[in-house]
Amino acid sequence: MTFLKNFINVLSVASISFIFLSATFAFIVYFCLLDGKVKSKAGVAFIIVGLILATAGLWFLPMFYLSIAYFLSLWGLATLGPRLWDSKTGLWLLIAGAGGFGLSLLDSNFKLIAAKPDNVPIGAMIFLLGIFTWIALRKAYLNDRQIAAGGMTFEKTETNEKLFVWPDLVYTEMLCMIALTIVMIIWSVALRAPLEEAANPTSSPNPAKAPWYFLGLQEMLVYFDPWLAGVVLPTLIIVGLMAIPYIDTNPKGNGYYSFRERKWEIGVFLYGFLVLWSFLIITGTFLRGPNWNFFGPFEFWDPNKLEPLVNVDLSELIWVKALSMPLPKLWIIREAFGLGLILLYLGLAPAAAKGPFRRFYLKMGAPRYYVGAYLFLVMLALPIKMVLRWIFNLKYIVHIQEIFFNI
Amino acid sequence: MKPQEPIPHNYSMRKLNLIFALTSLGLLAGTGLMVGYDYIRGWKWFQLEFNRIQEERIEQELKAKDDPATRAKLAEFDREMREGQVVIAKKRDAYLEAQKVLDEWEGKHYAADQDYRFTKAKLDAQRYVTELSVVQHRSDGREQQKKFADLTARVQALNLRLQQATRDRDAARARVDAYLAEIKKIEDRKKEITASVELLNKQLEAVSPKSKRMVLNLPMLDFINPTLKIDQVVLGDLFIDMNYMSVPRVDRCQTCHRAIDRPGFESKKEAERLAAELKRELDANRIQPTKRAETEARVAELQRIVDSPREIPNPFRTHPKLDMFVGSASPHPLLEYGCTVCHRGQDRATEFGRAGHTAMSPKMESRWKRVKMPFFPGPWDYKQRNWGYEENPFLETPMYPRQYTEAGCLKCHGGQIEVKNGDQINKATHMVELYGCHACHKINNWRFTGLQKPGPSLEGIAEKTYPAWAVRWISNPNHFRPTTRMPSFFYQRNMVGPAVPADERARNIKYQDAEIHSIVTYLFDRSTHRTWTPGPQGDAGRGKQLVDSIGCMACHIQQDTVKDEKTGAVRVARRDDFPLERNFGFNLVGVGTKTHAAWIYNWIKNPKAYDKLAPMPSLRLSDGEAADITAYLLTLQKPKFLQEPMRAPDPNVIRELAKGYLIGTMTDTDADAKLRVMPVKEQMLYLGQRSIEKYGCYSCHDIKGFDGLKPIGTELTTEGSKAAHLFDFGFVHEYEHEDGKHEHIMHNVPSWIYNKVRSPRIYDDERTKPYNDKLKMPNFHLSEEEARLATMVVVGLTKERVAANRLAASDSRMRAVEEERKIISQRNCRGCHIVNRSGRAIAAMISDSNFLPPDLTPQGARAQSPWLFNFIKDPTVMKIRPWLSVRMPTFGFSDHEAATLVAGFAAEGNESQFDTHRYDIPPQGNVAVGREVFAMLRCAQCHSTTSVDPANPPVPNTADATSLAPNLTLAKLRLHHEWIADWIRRPGEMIPDTRMPANFPRDAQTGGFKSPLAGAIDTPAFAAHKAALLPYFESEEALRKTMSDAVALTNYLRDYIWSIGINQMRSAGAGPESPAPQQQPTSPPVPVQTGDRAPAPPVRSARAGSRR
Repeated sequence: MTFLKNFINVLSVASISFIFLSATFAFIVYFCLLDGKVKSKAGVAFIIVGLILATAGLWFLPMFYLSIAYFLSLWGLATLGPRLWDSKTGLWLLIAGAGGFGLSLLDSNFKLIAAKPDNVPIGAMIFLLGIFTWIALRKAYLNDRQIAAGGMTFEKTETNEKLFVWPDLVYTEMLCMIALTIVMIIWSVALRAPLEEAANPTSSPNPAKAPWYFLGLQEMLVYFDPWLAGVVLPTLIIVGLMAIPYIDTNPKGNGYYSFRERKWEIGVFLYGFLVLWSFLIITGTFLRGPNWNFFGPFEFWDPNKLEPLVNVDLSELIWVKALSMPLPKLWIIREAFGLGLILLYLGLAPAAAKGPFRRFYLKMGAPRYYVGAYLFLVMLALPIKMVLRWIFNLKYIVHIQEIFFNI
Repeated sequence: MKPQEPIPHNYSMRKLNLIFALTSLGLLAGTGLMVGYDYIRGWKWFQLEFNRIQEERIEQELKAKDDPATRAKLAEFDREMREGQVVIAKKRDAYLEAQKVLDEWEGKHYAADQDYRFTKAKLDAQRYVTELSVVQHRSDGREQQKKFADLTARVQALNLRLQQATRDRDAARARVDAYLAEIKKIEDRKKEITASVELLNKQLEAVSPKSKRMVLNLPMLDFINPTLKIDQVVLGDLFIDMNYMSVPRVDRCQTCHRAIDRPGFESKKEAERLAAELKRELDANRIQPTKRAETEARVAELQRIVDSPREIPNPFRTHPKLDMFVGSASPHPLLEYGCTVCHRGQDRATEFGRAGHTAMSPKMESRWKRVKMPFFPGPWDYKQRNWGYEENPFLETPMYPRQYTEAGCLKCHGGQIEVKNGDQINKATHMVELYGCHACHKINNWRFTGLQKPGPSLEGIAEKTYPAWAVRWISNPNHFRPTTRMPSFFYQRNMVGPAVPADERARNIKYQDAEIHSIVTYLFDRSTHRTWTPGPQGDAGRGKQLVDSIGCMACHIQQDTVKDEKTGAVRVARRDDFPLERNFGFNLVGVGTKTHAAWIYNWIKNPKAYDKLAPMPSLRLSDGEAADITAYLLTLQKPKFLQEPMRAPDPNVIRELAKGYLIGTMTDTDADAKLRVMPVKEQMLYLGQRSIEKYGCYSCHDIKGFDGLKPIGTELTTEGSKAAHLFDFGFVHEYEHEDGKHEHIMHNVPSWIYNKVRSPRIYDDERTKPYNDKLKMPNFHLSEEEARLATMVVVGLTKERVAANRLAASDSRMRAVEEERKIISQRNCRGCHIVNRSGRAIAAMISDSNFLPPDLTPQGARAQSPWLFNFIKDPTVMKIRPWLSVRMPTFGFSDHEAATLVAGFAAEGNESQFDTHRYDIPPQGNVAVGREVFAMLRCAQCHSTTSVDPANPPVPNTADATSLAPNLTLAKLRLHHEWIADWIRRPGEMIPDTRMPANFPRDAQTGGFKSPLAGAIDTPAFAAHKAALLPYFESEEALRKTMSDAVALTNYLRDYIWSIGINQMRSAGAGPESPAPQQQPTSPPVPVQTGDRAPAPPVRSARAGSRR
């Protein structure tokens, strides 16, 4: 019970949203793309876990409406199933999203942040991401259905037809260009460029924010030591992106949208891109206020707000709290549990190669499998660490200040 | 070839074309929007609006010029012109012939001129070729040289021809002109009348919206030479600090503030004030004759503004202090100083909000913000004075709100005690110095360092007063003396105010009771306990007379109620009911309740015996005088004050608070153990010491055991540059002030500071803080005006710097003056004297200006430094006006201080300190002439010339106040040689209210001096004098000439005065009377400083400075 209370207390708009988003992602994959049904055991488990996560905030009053909203939307996804890809549903979703955003603008605190010229493009990005993801997945779903029925993909059908470069391509491109130019002009007239004064080393803005595309990295700094969040993880992101073509040699899905044929590849990528990267940018833009504190979307960004700094290391949790003894002096003993845990985590890859993921191991071969598996594990480390922080106030799993090594 | 299969299009072409048409139109509209948005700027409208105002004026002027008389005159000219043409027509043939000849010569001249110029060009080219051939030893060198010589000859010949042609042409032209001469003359006369009209028309063309030049302002054409354009001044050495570099200021303010440097666009109120001022100057004949006409024209112009039905709105108004700022003849011309260096704000901005305008009040700000259409504030808003204002939160130097504008002076004038004509900022800095802001808040600049502590020493408090008084006093000083400078530390808003919950309030009161009692216990425990022998019994009536007459009232007040000027009702007095100078000493009301006879008697006799750094000077009272004054002061009682209930401190609370401090350095258990064995008195002493530290009492008072502690407050050296987000605005936005006024807190630095000084604990409202963390700044009960002035100083203390050559008073002469002024300010000399045209608070007490202390404005030019040095150190060395009852006090200046004062006075008077004429013996003849002139002008009516002992001159007959004047035998020791003659010529100009008559009035026309003796020498009354004078002059004519020469006469008078002067005076501290007799305190003996012979007492200021 204490655990649950602790769990509820640390939930905030952002953490609950993060969990909700992860759940949503799983729901979409299961119900909408893979035609999953609640009847199946796995589906029931999905829904139960998702609903518990989303409604946990019911006990936590400020989260009440948010939780209900999350509950309803997850439930909706489960009942909608593949109908999510009907163009009518898409339109309604868009209307609902835009309407919700527009209504929120009536709130002065929300407006202050969302209508700030710096943040308007990020607001637009939310919609664009949603729209394009939806279109891609819709096409993938339709193609999957075609393939299952033994038919041709839409792309194939299209490439079999002949088309004129002029006017079918160039003309439409030019029209898009003109329309975009109009949008840009009106935008630049309506919203002033957010220029500030000359830089002043003695007066840093509060909050000091990275450029929008790095806000995900800045958010990671909250959960990881700077050398990990600032050096190792970004490097791995770039290296991992470069490695994708060498790891993923599945020839299916080339030139056409499809999900079923490459569910793991697309699923992992989209989770990393949407939930771990884009959502963190959105959090950094709209929900991180002065002193890098969390603020709800309708909350006033009060610079006086204080959050207690009560994070603990895993070693403290185990030695001090659980075993009621002082921390061992020798770090190798002190951090034994943490190091063990890390080793166990890293051991998941070979273990999975023997167990449930043997199929992958055989198909890909050892080098590809291990590179891919470790990239995946590193990626998953982020949400895991985030959840651990929220639930246990966990600062570091391994904290060896003697050699500046913290995980 | 197979016929191509028709391929169907993916889209309907018609639809695409339609979309194309629509989007193209949209793009066109978008481009129009972009260009329009870029084109429509607020400042353009302001310029157009200003042009309209100007157009209106010019049209009015044109109308005024278009009167019937002028029209008739022009018609007359036209008629004459026609007549002239008729005359020419009669001689038509001859005229045409002459014209033809002229045309011919014109042609010839043109050709000759061209020939000459072309050949000269060839010559220059040939020079190069020739030189080259010589240098390179070419074979054709000789040939080239010959060519050059030929060309030179040819140019000379052609020049001659050209001259001839010019002469001939001019002659032909003269012949033609002769025919036209009449007409030309008429035309010239006509031009005289029409020129001003043409000028006005030209001006009209420049500003009128109907003018053709407006085409240049059309979009896309306006890059050529538009009439509406941004106006700017580039200020090379007034930098803006961009953190990594300094860039010159580029002030564009006049882009909208069109008439800021142009007189004639004042507001009505301003115009009225200026006109009255100038009229006064004109009436008093203080305007130079050459400028008179100009000034009169200006008065007429101002009067027109006052009479005009419409008010000129801002931003089109003239700067209200054009003679000081922005005006081309002012000390701060626009082209050199711009605007933002004083006002701050964003120099390059041309939009209202971006420029950093800051509103004076929330009401003003909300009016500024109002707009009809978002994104497009325009004329429809400006007319209502709504500017579409958006605060620029990133601007580090927003403009000072108007009520604090003079804060900007401090940037360049921070090294001065007073800024010329800066009445408000001078009062503000003086107030900050006097109230002692600098004591708790370090202000690290020249103006606010090296000052004495504002409060009295508490090292002997037990000798002076009683704990029962001290406790009540600290609890609420204002209650005992409403004008006191001692602020209230206790029972303030954050302790007992409306926002504090009842139970916490009760607890806070207990805590504060305990702190006050502990502080008093500590102070009395650590105080010295000398006993003072009481003086003889005095007479209170005589004492009051003395207090009123000898000068006490220059520094002290003795009333705690005043009659309100507005309502006429009697109310409690405030500090600002009196000049700052009179707030220098404490309010005498209740002094009899506070202290006792023996102390008063000894204190007034010699303040330095009680506290060697006491700012109170000695008035050299005799025993009897001191006794009388003591008797009078004892009658000033506030008996009720000591009868007011006083809560005893709760021992448990004392222990609790003491423990609160102890656990900072030890554990809870140890603290308890320690306190258990500590007697209550000890606990109180401990708590008292910690409380004095907490509240910073030692910052203002000397308290034993607190030497060398840092002042308690935030450093203010660059407070005005601190960004708004670094201030804790707490949760309050508006509040009810203790004096009943409703105050608003705007989110800007000046407003924060204003409310901080006005109600220092206000930002604790609604806060939850532990007792010791609550705000501690005491309440000075500043009035709105005082708070405004204090804020002005604080916001003026910035880190902005200007180039060294722009700093005011940076040369050595001015430094000497400023060092002197600092002492003047610290010793409150202005209580009695006028220095630099201001001061003399005592004048309110003494009705007859003849009995007032002297005006020191020309002191440096007047007095010789050795004399002045002696006199300042010991005023008894010479009595100049022995009939005065006001006394020059003995301040106990050190040699250094006295020398600083003397040097400063000399520098101020632009005079060297030492005078080569000191030992001059004037020629006998001059003296004799001077003596006669002296007699003729009847100087002896007022001035005595009998030699006297300078320290004890006989008191002249005081029955007739008009006959009082200094003994002239003292002049040689005292006055500058040159100054004497100058003074006789123009006493009134040097000291406006002097009694010395102007014997040599100024001539209104020439500005020179007129001699009263001119002509008079021949009258029978002066026959004897004439006879006596004649031997000294070559002729009667020479005598008459001299008698009408004011300068010569005054020089003779000076020589005479020099000849009768005594040469010796006692030096400071050597006389029997000086310094004031000391009353030795009986026990324990303390070292007594006696004037100069004893080691100079350490200066309070020096000590205060070394603490830092």
